[in-house]
Amino acid sequence: MIDTMVIFDLLLAVAVVALAVASMTTRDMFAAIVLFVVFGLLSALAWVRLSAPDVALAEAAIGTGVTGALLLRTLHHVQTVERKAAPEPLPVPMGVQIANAAFCGLLTLGLAAAFAGAPRGGPGFDLLVADAMSISGVDHPVTAVLLNFRAYDTLMEVVVLLAAVIAVWQIERGLSDAPAPALGEVWQGFARLTLPAIVVVGTYLLWVGSSAPGGAFQGGAVLAAVGLLLLLSRLYVPRPSHRGAARVAFVLGTGAFAAVALLVTGGGRMPFEYPLEHAKTLILLIEGLVTISIAVTLAALFHGREPVALPERAAGTGGRDDA
Amino acid sequence: MTPDLIYGVTGIAVFAIGLVGAIVAQNRLRRVLALKLCSVGAGFVLIVAAWRSPPDAPDPVPHALVITGIVVMVSATAVALALIRRLHSLEAEDDA
Amino acid sequence: MTLDPLTLVVFAPLFGAMAAFVAPRAAAAIGLATMALTGAAVAWLATEVHAAGAVRTPLGGWEPPLGIALRADGLSVAMLVLTTGVGLLVSLGALDSFKGTANARLQQYFWPLWLLLLTGMNGVYLSTDIFNLYVMIEVIALAAVGLTVLSGTRAALRAGLEYMYASILGALLFLLGVGFVYLQIGQLDFAGLIGAEPSAAMSTALALMVVGLLLKTALFPLHFWLPSAHANATAPASALLSGLVVKAALYIFLRLTTYMPLPDEILVALIGALGAGAVLWGGVQALRAERLKMLVAWSTVVQIGLIFIAFARAGQVGLTESWKAAALLILAHGAAKAAMFLSAGRIKDEIGHDIIRDLDRTPVRPTLAQFTFALAAISLIGLPPSLGFIGKWSLMEGAMAAGYWHWVAVTMVGTLMSVGYFSRVMAGFLRFDRVRAPVAEHQGWALADLPPLVLALGAIGLGLAAAPILSFIELGYPFGMTP
Repeated sequence: MIDTMVIFDLLLAVAVVALAVASMTTRDMFAAIVLFVVFGLLSALAWVRLSAPDVALAEAAIGTGVTGALLLRTLHHVQTVERKAAPEPLPVPMGVQIANAAFCGLLTLGLAAAFAGAPRGGPGFDLLVADAMSISGVDHPVTAVLLNFRAYDTLMEVVVLLAAVIAVWQIERGLSDAPAPALGEVWQGFARLTLPAIVVVGTYLLWVGSSAPGGAFQGGAVLAAVGLLLLLSRLYVPRPSHRGAARVAFVLGTGAFAAVALLVTGGGRMPFEYPLEHAKTLILLIEGLVTISIAVTLAALFHGREPVALPERAAGTGGRDDA
Repeated sequence: MTPDLIYGVTGIAVFAIGLVGAIVAQNRLRRVLALKLCSVGAGFVLIVAAWRSPPDAPDPVPHALVITGIVVMVSATAVALALIRRLHSLEAEDDA
Repeated sequence: MTLDPLTLVVFAPLFGAMAAFVAPRAAAAIGLATMALTGAAVAWLATEVHAAGAVRTPLGGWEPPLGIALRADGLSVAMLVLTTGVGLLVSLGALDSFKGTANARLQQYFWPLWLLLLTGMNGVYLSTDIFNLYVMIEVIALAAVGLTVLSGTRAALRAGLEYMYASILGALLFLLGVGFVYLQIGQLDFAGLIGAEPSAAMSTALALMVVGLLLKTALFPLHFWLPSAHANATAPASALLSGLVVKAALYIFLRLTTYMPLPDEILVALIGALGAGAVLWGGVQALRAERLKMLVAWSTVVQIGLIFIAFARAGQVGLTESWKAAALLILAHGAAKAAMFLSAGRIKDEIGHDIIRDLDRTPVRPTLAQFTFALAAISLIGLPPSLGFIGKWSLMEGAMAAGYWHWVAVTMVGTLMSVGYFSRVMAGFLRFDRVRAPVAEHQGWALADLPPLVLALGAIGLGLAAAPILSFIELGYPFGMTP
């Protein structure tokens, strides 16, 4: 029994590394992205084997799903907006390739040697977390770490997401509307069928997050998939008048999280120190609002540019703000 | 041979592949992919650090860290990709 | 409310950023109010640290290692004062450089990005947890890239993308280092690092984190992304990027090497050698630069190198002394370089270009901005009584005492080169014989000349206050082993 699992682990490990190499060396960019998506899913599978189902879920949904969609959307853009004098990539000489591979191998060996010498399997936070679980307000250890013990990190992580969407809106200001992806009738029908189901799954993930694998980030990613489908199927088209609401939705999670962290100091507590009797409620409230923000933000990151006013959009084909 | 050893080395190899890719790749999108490989590699190492041989439950802290890392990475990826799209559009205008 | 200044220093700019993003029309007003509030919080924190030494707040009531604590000592406060002080003055300068309806969008995005950047930097200076530092440097990275590409030009976007790649790679190297630390000791806070026994995993972790940080702080030869990113951003963004942002990674490096000492004297010397490479290579590039902003950006590479030389001459004198020289150089460069980038931006705005060889052909002479540039150069070259002089002097004094004459020699050569490249600019300011048209009466003065002037005067005047600054930095034993 043990032996078959070891063989499975070894095969999976080899597949993961091979896919990583392939996604770096395949000439066709589309194929490279597809290989990357398979790589991400197999990595998530490996993480399930390492008893980390929540992380595997997050990696599959956000690290692979949303990232893959972002990559494909960008590839689509790059291929649609054709460049006349696109520079041909120079063929890499064999010697350079061998040197790269050798460097890569040496690096792996060096790091692996240091890794092998480290005491794996503790000492970690196992006992500390187990002791503090009863006063954390939630039943699932990972959720307790994310939203209570290390809530400050998680707040800053949502801040990173906020910084990303502000930066993306800023970068793509005034960009023309042309390469917005449209997928046609089949996708529209598909979207109508699947949207309600995805909403249910996302909400469910959020709810079970306090006691089982799942939570704000996975739930947010699943709900973001709804946004992606809405955008792709043109069931929802962002308009300039929606910008105000979008801005509020982006900051909602961060704002509520930070406000709660400060407001609890009213009772003579530390920032982020939720009163025990309200801890579960507060954490669920934060998780819910953060989920909404994550979903809207991820969908906006996929859409890219800020929806600009129509007359401005009709005035040219991009680059107007290039002064 | 335990899963932590196997996947630890896997993660390190994936990180190294991503690192070399990020340095040598010429295609802008490929470099983003390479960085994402590095991030998955680092995730492997942290998750391995959390693993305890069954029936012991894993250490939840590294799991939370990796989830944070995943969200941070998708944010960074989105910004890099927006830069690539914008730059491509401007360069296409220059060509025209 | 039992609010503490530590939390407020991080949360004030965060709330300001969100408000400025949600209400773009009022972004400037919100931004200035936030800067004032953050400044007040830093002042409050400074008085507390002055009274009590180090202060800390365990967030959520969870003590490390389970939770994350914020901690401030003299050095943190010095960095915070630099960041908010320079930040406030650059913000005031930004008000002028973004005025007019054409720049309304720039204004809208400048404020939220800058306030998020401030959140990240303040968070770094108060952090005591290496994973938290990873998240913070990512906040800084995304906001800084957003500011780099604010102008939207092709050159800025290309530079911004390179900066992004370097920044993410640096952060991921740091993250893998965090993973190795966790494998070895199962802890993430500074106190855990101090107690760690030397081991292969810890050395690997330190190597990964240091390389990541050197990439982010742009130490030669990992500086490749810096000059074009800093030279192609708009002037206020350049001032923030060059004066403040590179210091965050530098600060983490200094903290980290206190808690995880470099295992080998040779490595310290190697870092010094990289610093020397930066001083020489950056100097040559600054001498060859064709554009004013590019020259200023290369001078940042030189100054970063100098700070690492200050770090490297630790040797027999001990880390404490070299720390102080490095800290003084960081403060001096922060103020002087922000002043220099702002005044270079003003000069470019007034005369319409920043080509160095044509500086003496223009009938318009923005004299006040040129004067500011010269003052900033005095501090960067290291002439008395500037803060730059005190920093360089304490570097060389220590190096001479330790018998490290090679570091003295490199510093001297670097100083001579800096005289050389700044003279190229000064000569252009002072020559009038090549102007075809009569020199215009328009002197090109504006209210926007004031913030850089104050910064430059500060960089020089603070040299006179070096003694109190030094004794303040020592509060709470940042150079000792108690985190």
